[in-house]
Amino acid sequence: MPEIGTDRWVAEFESRRVRREGPWGRLIEWSSRRWLWLFAGAAIVYPFVIGGDFGIRVGVNALLLAMLAIGLNVVVGYTGLLDLGYVAYYGLGAYGYAFLASDQFGIHLPTPVVVAVVALVVFGVGLVLGQPARRLVGDYLAILTLFFLQVFVELALNLDRLDLPFVDGPVSITGGPNGIAGVDPMEILGFRFGQVRDYYFLLLVLVILLIVGVTNLARSRTGVGWRAIREDTLAAEHMTIPSGRLKVLAYAFGATVAAVSGTVFAAVQLGVFPQNFTVALLIVVYAALVLGGEGSIPGALVGALIIAMVPELLRTPAGARLLFYGGLLVAGLTLVRPRRRLAVIVPGLLLFGLAVRALVAGIWPGLVAAETAGGVDRWLLRFSASADVVVSVLFVVTIAVALAAVAVRRRRVRDALLILGVYLLVLVWENRLVEEPSITRQLLFGALLVVLMVARPHGLLGRPRVEVV
Amino acid sequence: MAVLELRGLTKRFGGLLVVDGLDLSVAEGEIVSLIGPNGAGKTTVFNLISGVFTPDGGDILLDGRSIVGLPRHEIARRGVARTFQTLRVFLNMTVAENVIAAEYASGTVGAVRSFLGTPAARAEAERMRAEAERRLAFFGERLVGYRLEQPAYSLSYANRRRLEIARAMATGARLLLLDEPAAGMNPAETQEITRLIGQLRDEAGYTILVIEHDMHVVEGISDRVVALDHGVKIAEGSFDDVATDPAVVEAYLGKGGAATK
Amino acid sequence: MEFFLQQLVNGLTLGGVYALIALGYSMVYGILKLLNFAHGDVYMVGAFAGYGVLVAFGGPADPRIPVVTLIVLMFLAGMLASGILGVVIERFAYRPLRNAPRIAPLISAVGVSFFLQNAALLVLGARFRSYGTARMVDPATGLQWGPLRISIIRIVVILSAVALMVVLHLLVQRTKLGKAMRATAFDREAAAMMGIDVDRVIVATFLIGSVLAGAAGVMVGLVFSRVYHFMGFVAGLKGFTAAVIGGIGSIPGAMMGGLLIGLAEAFSAGYISSTFQNLIVFGLLIVFLLARPRGLFGVPEPVKV
Repeated sequence: MPEIGTDRWVAEFESRRVRREGPWGRLIEWSSRRWLWLFAGAAIVYPFVIGGDFGIRVGVNALLLAMLAIGLNVVVGYTGLLDLGYVAYYGLGAYGYAFLASDQFGIHLPTPVVVAVVALVVFGVGLVLGQPARRLVGDYLAILTLFFLQVFVELALNLDRLDLPFVDGPVSITGGPNGIAGVDPMEILGFRFGQVRDYYFLLLVLVILLIVGVTNLARSRTGVGWRAIREDTLAAEHMTIPSGRLKVLAYAFGATVAAVSGTVFAAVQLGVFPQNFTVALLIVVYAALVLGGEGSIPGALVGALIIAMVPELLRTPAGARLLFYGGLLVAGLTLVRPRRRLAVIVPGLLLFGLAVRALVAGIWPGLVAAETAGGVDRWLLRFSASADVVVSVLFVVTIAVALAAVAVRRRRVRDALLILGVYLLVLVWENRLVEEPSITRQLLFGALLVVLMVARPHGLLGRPRVEVV
Repeated sequence: MAVLELRGLTKRFGGLLVVDGLDLSVAEGEIVSLIGPNGAGKTTVFNLISGVFTPDGGDILLDGRSIVGLPRHEIARRGVARTFQTLRVFLNMTVAENVIAAEYASGTVGAVRSFLGTPAARAEAERMRAEAERRLAFFGERLVGYRLEQPAYSLSYANRRRLEIARAMATGARLLLLDEPAAGMNPAETQEITRLIGQLRDEAGYTILVIEHDMHVVEGISDRVVALDHGVKIAEGSFDDVATDPAVVEAYLGKGGAATK
Repeated sequence: MEFFLQQLVNGLTLGGVYALIALGYSMVYGILKLLNFAHGDVYMVGAFAGYGVLVAFGGPADPRIPVVTLIVLMFLAGMLASGILGVVIERFAYRPLRNAPRIAPLISAVGVSFFLQNAALLVLGARFRSYGTARMVDPATGLQWGPLRISIIRIVVILSAVALMVVLHLLVQRTKLGKAMRATAFDREAAAMMGIDVDRVIVATFLIGSVLAGAAGVMVGLVFSRVYHFMGFVAGLKGFTAAVIGGIGSIPGAMMGGLLIGLAEAFSAGYISSTFQNLIVFGLLIVFLLARPRGLFGVPEPVKV
């Protein structure tokens, strides 16, 4: 009879193992172990490289989003609580800071005291409002917390003309739709935060501390317990894990992280406004987390940096073009397989453009704007302002062609659709999208979310999960 | 004194009486097998003991104290651990983490100290990790080495069963409820699990209540066998007594079955 | 009393619209366990399709075809456009994510919603468009009971909403497709093993839900005479809330929930016009969810062991 528990695979594991080879492979291995150092180094250099206040402000937004995403990761990625009220706590933190450090009530407490008080109070609020998480599961908790967020926004909007007993006249607590302006800048140990750069480095320290802390937590019995609850709550309870208590703790922990970042946000912005804390922000935070890969801390970080920084490139036409054509190039190189098909597609695209241009200029000269100099304009149609409707129609056609190109399987048809689709895309881009940066940003954001989810549902750095329903 | 004692345990689902006045006691260091045809109420008994359901009548005593109505994690904390008929390992966690999760009750460090990474927190995490490796070493080479860091979904069916047992042991329980530990295993693995259950009692000192359909396993491990049918105890005693009991034969094979045998 | 009755009619009109939107949410949730956040925008596209037909036939003041035919055509266009859109969304944004983690299709849905809103903004601009119903149909026509007047448009809307729901009910309860839908909602894998083409059932669900949303879009255009690119968000939230109140996944629940929300909105607008109106509504919803997490018609999920 064989010995108990002999196992060939375990015994022979080392000899069967495949490692990443070469300098590139070593670089990947190294950076996946030392990612925090890499991030810290790059982030310290960033303000000096980027110069300018605007670039640093973008960095501040990115770090704030990173804090939010990492906090949310504990609630959603670890514990599996779909908390759609998350940004309400960001708002609570910001308003809390504004209450205790502005002229609103004439209270000007020292910054560390304010932050500590806000963190403690919001943690308490989280413990109370997290109670339903004990009983409600999945989407029902999501819906409930979404209502929490709505209540918060309504309160922020409407607590500005309150009649209180013993006080003359209506009292404004939140400042209503106008919010609270003139919030004090932060001051820690005698150092007064004057520039955006000061807040940038404060946030950088906070983000790194948070990453270290959450990593510690993830290895502790609390962190392992959280993940066990997400995997299988009932089994976790049978393994001595008090699921109710841990769920509430995760919820309150996320709320506290959001609140602390909210205090910094209020100080950077020197004010708080209700429209800062709506569903739109919630979507951005979730997008950052899921894009990076829920359950992964470096994932949440990378997702936040991408979501906060890439759209900024779209602000100027030059940056937008760089992003657009760069994106097309990368998409072409990675998605078209085998690559030699590009040898057909690229010349086809060029010829198609020239042909269309000649044709249209011949038949409807009025549609085409007067020729401008050089570049893309020698190849592409440029519509006159009166042809707005045509561009709108073409935009819809572009979407249809792009979707068809995804769905069709036959190689020839697919290549033809691809040529047509890319041509139309460039056409619409140059004629309309590049001129409407704010709409284009949102459009691209929406499209990006869909494409990324379809291509990589577990996010950039997340691990694919096995789920048993 | 009996480790576990069920007194007149009763459970109804709607109008259906699933467990009907069951009396059962399991003594320290004993291996008791619960057998019976499908739908006899065996798993429901496990679910009642471990707190998934609350009984409609009767009492469950652990070391003489009632555990009825306690939250599930509290029952586990008091020394009752279980495995599941339909495996429920934490699929997306590593093998080591699966076991560490079950050591929750043995920890004393709270979330704040863990967040700060105090020396006590680090020491506890290391202790839990070492403990997990020790538990998994109980199964020979199967779940150690590189497998420690593999996600549980990559394990074979038999290894998932072993992992569930390791996890149950890690809770620090003294009473193990094993729900069909040999289900879905090949003959060699079944033999191995039979010996393992013996070792669990002899070397590790567990008291074990086991549900099993494979009569070779039941014969090999049981000190005592209890047969259920329609939620009622129909026989109790040594394997040979129960296996030849006319009521048991009838429950398994139907009325004509006893005659043709 | 007449004020009360007037609000009742308003509530029923709104309720019918919300119920139609809620049905789409609920049906999709029932089958895919997906909160389809793009549903409100499907409804918006339906409203615009109706508007497009209206403009194509000469506009409300001077239509080239009889008004009744025009309205029927508008409904058909809205339902068709929304239906196709719903099916396309399912095919490209949700189907590839059938076995992905639960949150991935949710994010994908949000992406679709963003995309549709901004595509509409790009193509049609931020301007409100008006159906101009008052110029198309004389607002004075309709039923008159003493002081209470119900305009013909409201009657048409309420009746067509009821008719659509009856058709849906028969479809789900009486046809083979309906049976397949119920089976798929109950257990997708088992249904697939029983020979049900689950993909087709899901497409059909999206089609039906979106068609109803398209009809709701045209109805809102006719009654409130205002369509714009962002209209889907608020209506979507209301329809979604209605679905939750009724018990998400339940078809009669969605109908009841829609009516309740519509009536509540009409009466609270009529009787409590305070700044805290929304706050009270959300507060009540929270209390309701805590007391009955599965809504009016939802069935509690059993503990799986």
